[in-house]
Amino acid sequence: MASTSKDNVQAGPSVQSNPSDDLEPGACPESILNPTDSFDEFASEMSCSLQERNKSLAAKSSTISEIQSEIGDSEKDGSEMKSTKSSDDLQSKNGNMSASASSSNLIEENGDDEDNEKDDYLQSPELVNKEKHVFVLSSAGKPIYSRYGNEDKLAGLCGVIQALVSVIEDQNQDILRSISTKDCKTVFLVKGPLILVAVSKSNESETQLVLQLTYAFNQIVSVLTLTQLNRIFEQRRNYDLRRLLSGAERLIDNLFVFMEKDPAFLLGAVRCLPLPEKARENITNAITTTCHKIRDLVFAILIAGNQLITLVRMKKYTLHPSDIHLLFNLVRSSESFKTAESWTPICLPKFDATGFLHGHVSYISEDCQACLLLLTVQRDAFFPLSQAKHTIAEKLRRSNCLVAINDALNRNEELPTTNPLKHIGIPEIRHFMYKCKSTAQLFTSDPISLDRLQDYRIKHKEGGDITVKKIEKLSDIDYVRNYRRFCSQIHCTSIPAKLIFRSNPHDTILAWVTNGFELYVTFDPLMDKDQAIKAVDRLLRWIKREEQRIFIMNAPTF
Amino acid sequence: MIDVKTKINSFFIFNSSFGPREGEEIKRVLFFHPNQISSDARKIQVGLCEAVVKFMSTFTSEPCEALQTQTKRYIFYQPEKGYWMVLVVRIPYTTKAVSAIGEGRAEFLDPSVMNDLLVSAYKMFRMFMGPFKDIPIEEIYSTCDEFFAPFIMSRNLTNDISDVIQGISYLPLDKNCFFKVMCFIDLLEVNYPDFKCISFVYNDQLIWNGLSSNDMLTLYQYLVQTLLPKQVEKEIQGGAIAAAQRHGRFISPPEGIRTQDDLRKLVKVHLLREDETETKQYYLIIYRTLSATVCFTIDVNTHLEIDTFRSLDAFIGPQLSTIASTISEQCAIHALQTAQLANTEHKFVYFNRLNLAFKTYPPVNKLIPSTSIKPEVLSIIAGIHADKKSLGNYGEVIIKTPDEYWITGKSSNDREFYVVIQEKNANLKEISDEVKRICEAQMKGIFFYPM
Repeated sequence: MASTSKDNVQAGPSVQSNPSDDLEPGACPESILNPTDSFDEFASEMSCSLQERNKSLAAKSSTISEIQSEIGDSEKDGSEMKSTKSSDDLQSKNGNMSASASSSNLIEENGDDEDNEKDDYLQSPELVNKEKHVFVLSSAGKPIYSRYGNEDKLAGLCGVIQALVSVIEDQNQDILRSISTKDCKTVFLVKGPLILVAVSKSNESETQLVLQLTYAFNQIVSVLTLTQLNRIFEQRRNYDLRRLLSGAERLIDNLFVFMEKDPAFLLGAVRCLPLPEKARENITNAITTTCHKIRDLVFAILIAGNQLITLVRMKKYTLHPSDIHLLFNLVRSSESFKTAESWTPICLPKFDATGFLHGHVSYISEDCQACLLLLTVQRDAFFPLSQAKHTIAEKLRRSNCLVAINDALNRNEELPTTNPLKHIGIPEIRHFMYKCKSTAQLFTSDPISLDRLQDYRIKHKEGGDITVKKIEKLSDIDYVRNYRRFCSQIHCTSIPAKLIFRSNPHDTILAWVTNGFELYVTFDPLMDKDQAIKAVDRLLRWIKREEQRIFIMNAPTF
Repeated sequence: MIDVKTKINSFFIFNSSFGPREGEEIKRVLFFHPNQISSDARKIQVGLCEAVVKFMSTFTSEPCEALQTQTKRYIFYQPEKGYWMVLVVRIPYTTKAVSAIGEGRAEFLDPSVMNDLLVSAYKMFRMFMGPFKDIPIEEIYSTCDEFFAPFIMSRNLTNDISDVIQGISYLPLDKNCFFKVMCFIDLLEVNYPDFKCISFVYNDQLIWNGLSSNDMLTLYQYLVQTLLPKQVEKEIQGGAIAAAQRHGRFISPPEGIRTQDDLRKLVKVHLLREDETETKQYYLIIYRTLSATVCFTIDVNTHLEIDTFRSLDAFIGPQLSTIASTISEQCAIHALQTAQLANTEHKFVYFNRLNLAFKTYPPVNKLIPSTSIKPEVLSIIAGIHADKKSLGNYGEVIIKTPDEYWITGKSSNDREFYVVIQEKNANLKEISDEVKRICEAQMKGIFFYPM
C-alpha cells in the first residue's frame, strides 16, 4: 500500500521535489467517521442478484440493543421480533409479485387505460420540464412521494412503474435498473417494500442517482425504522404510507436540493466547520467533561450550517457520513428546533436501521447558530440531557467558543479559510475540493456561510425547472456540477481512473485520487501541465498546513 | 474474438402499429433472433420493450436508447418512426474491475459498440433492401428474415479499436499515382456515361469515393468486412486465379457477368451519391483486378445490354491492372518508410469525423484480431469518443488507469487523436511530451491545440 501511494504521488503532480510523497493532508490514525468507502459498499450492494437482494434485508444484529445490553439494560425493545419479521418479508414479497404479474398484458392494459389521464397530468406545468423527478411508491404500486405535483394524480404512472419492475422480476428473473435516452435517465431502486424512481435530465451518472435514491430511502427509514416499515407492509400490502410520513415529505424535498448542491454527497464525506485547533479542543472538552457520566449517551454532535463542529462518541461506535448527512438535513429542515429544546426519536439507518435512538436537539444559544444533538438509547433521558446541554452552552460561552463558531459561520475576513483561494494565492485555480479518505472529511474552496445556507433553505429558487442560462460567472454549484462526471469516472467500478486531466476552451479540470485523498481542481482554460502540477503541489501543502483548522483530527470518546 | 452466439441474448425488430388488436401481438414482431424462441416469449419481450418506450416518452421526446437490468442490457434503436430494433446483450449492471478477473478480458464489450452494431445493421439493410416503410407489409417479415438472420450470425464482434471508432482507412498516394486513378475514373465515365464510379479500393484502403460519407462507410464496411474477405479466400484457394484475375472480373454478382441472364442477377442498392440530393436505387457492379476493387452504380431504369459489360470488361481490365501494379509499388515503398518511422511502441488512433478517415498504429487487420489494446482502455477511448462535447472545439484529456495506462485524447475541430502509453512512474508532463512527439512524427501537418 505504501508503495502504491508513492507511485501515485510521483505519477501525478510533484515531480522534481518529492516532499509531498507522504502528504495526505487531514489524515489521522483514528476517525470519528466510518470511512468505509460508500462507493465500494454500494457496488457490492448493486451487484447482487434478485435472490440475494430479497435476502439481504434479513436480520442484521441491532447495534442499539447491543448497547442496551452492554449498559445492562435488559429491556430488549423487541429486537428478536425484528429478525423474524424481516425474513418473513421475502415470502410476502414473492406472494405479491405473483399476484401482480399477469405478464405483458398488464402493462398494455395499464398503458392504454390510464395513458391519457396520466399523460395529461405529466404534461401539466407543475410537472413538465423538471430537471429531476423522484417518485416513491409501495411495491403494490401505491404512490407515496413525488417530488413535484400531487401523488394522488400520479397513481397511473405508479401503476406502470410497479408493472415494469414486477414483470422484469417475475418473467425474466432479473432486476430493473435503468432506462435511458439521450437526454434523460430513469433509475429504479427496489428497497424492501418500496420502489424508488428518479427521472433525471441532469448530468449525474446512474450510480450517483441510485445513491440519491438510497438516501431518500434512508430518510424514510430514519423517520419510521426499517422494522416498522417492513411490518406495516407485511400486515397491509395496500397501506397508504403517506399517513405515517406526513412531514417527512419536506425532509425528502430538502434532501434532494441538498444532494444536488453539496459536494459532500458526491464524495461521501462530511464537511467540517473550519475552526482554530484550540477552539475545537475546548468545545470537545466541554462536551466530554459534561457528558462522561451520562451512561446511555451514544453520540454528542455539534453542527452548524451543514458542517460538523465536533462529534463525541461512545467507544467502539462511529457514525457513517450518510447518517450525519441525514442529521444535517433534519436540523436544516426543522425550524422548530430553533425555538425550543426538542426530544425526538431518530433512526440512523447505517448505524442501526432497526430501532430509534432518542435525541435531544437544541441550538446552543440565540446568538449562535450551532445545534447540539445528544443521542441516547434511553427513552426518558430528556431532563438529564437538557441539563447537560445548558452546562455545555455555558462552558462554550465562557471559553469564547461561540465567538469562534460565529466567526467561521459569518466567514470573518481574517480567517484563512474564509476565502481559501485568495489565501493560497494561486490565481490559476478557480475552484477545488479535497477529500481525506481515511477520515471521510472534505474541504472545498467555497466554505458554506450563513447566507449560503439560507440559499439552500429557500426551497429551490428555480423550482427545479430546466433553464438554459447564459453563463457569465460560474457559481460554486456550477463547479460542483462539472465535477460530477469526473467523480463518476474515478469511482467507476469496472474501469476506474486514477487521474484525469482535461482541458478545453472553458476550463481545465484535474481529478486525482490516491490511497489517501481525492482532489478535484478547476483551473483556467488550456492550463499548462507543468504549471498545473506545481499549483496542485502548493495547494496540497496549504491544506496540510491548515489541516488542524479545517479537519477534525482526533476521535474523542466519552 | 467474441462469438455473437454466446454474447448476444436476442435481437428483434418490432413495430407496434402492426397487429394493433388483441391477439395479434405477434404480428408486431418483424424479426426475432434466435428463432427457436416461442411466440409467447417473443410477445413478452416485445411487450416489455413497448412498455419501456412508452414510459420514457412521457418524460422526454428523445427516443429510448437503453434498458439496463441486473444481467442484461437492451439497446434500442428507432431508425424509422415506429420501427424499433432491439439488441439484448449480456452485460451485468456492475462489473468489478475487469483486470481483477483474469478471464474476463474478452468478455468486456463497451455498450457503444453494441449501439454501433445496430446502426450499421440498419444501414446495411437500407442499402440493400431500402427503408422499412417502403417494404410492403406482406413482404417485410420474409425480407427481414432473409437479411438479418445471416447478418447477425455472420457478425463477429471483436474487441478492436475499429469497432469502437468506425472509420475508413484511406490509402495515401503520391500525386502522380493519384492522378492516374483519377484519369482512369474520368475516362471511364466519359466513355460509359451510364456508369458512375462510386469507389476505388486498394486492398482494404479507400482511394476514391463518390458517395455521401454516410453511405460510403456502409459500402466500405460491406466491401472490407463481407465481400472482399470471401473473394480473397476464393483467390487463395483457387484455380481461377491465373488469366482471369490478371485482367480482372466482375465480382458482384458473384458468378460474374457473362450472359444476358446474369444481368437479371445484378444487385440493387439504395444509395446517396455525392453529387445528388436524394437516395436512389441503383444496380451495384463491382469489378476487381489484382488488389484493386472498383464499384459502379447504374440507374435501375437504364436498359442494360450484355455487350456493354463485355466492352467495359475489355476496357477496364488492362488499365486497372496497370494502375494496380503502380499502386502496389508505391505501397511497398511507403511501407518501408513507415517501418523506419514507426519505431514507437505506443499505440495511437487518428480519426476525422468529417471524412471518416481512420488510421491506427499498430495497423488493424480484421482477419487477425489484435489483443494489443486492453478492453478497459478501449472503453475509455470509446467514452472520450462518445463525449465529444467535453473537449469542445479544441481540447485534450489525459486519463491514468490503476494499471499504469495513460490514455490521451486530443480533439481539434472534427479531428481526434488518441494515444495509449503504458509507463510506470511517468508523470503528466512526460506523457504529454511523448504524445506531442508521436503527434508530430505521425501526423505531420495536422494541427492539434493545445500542444
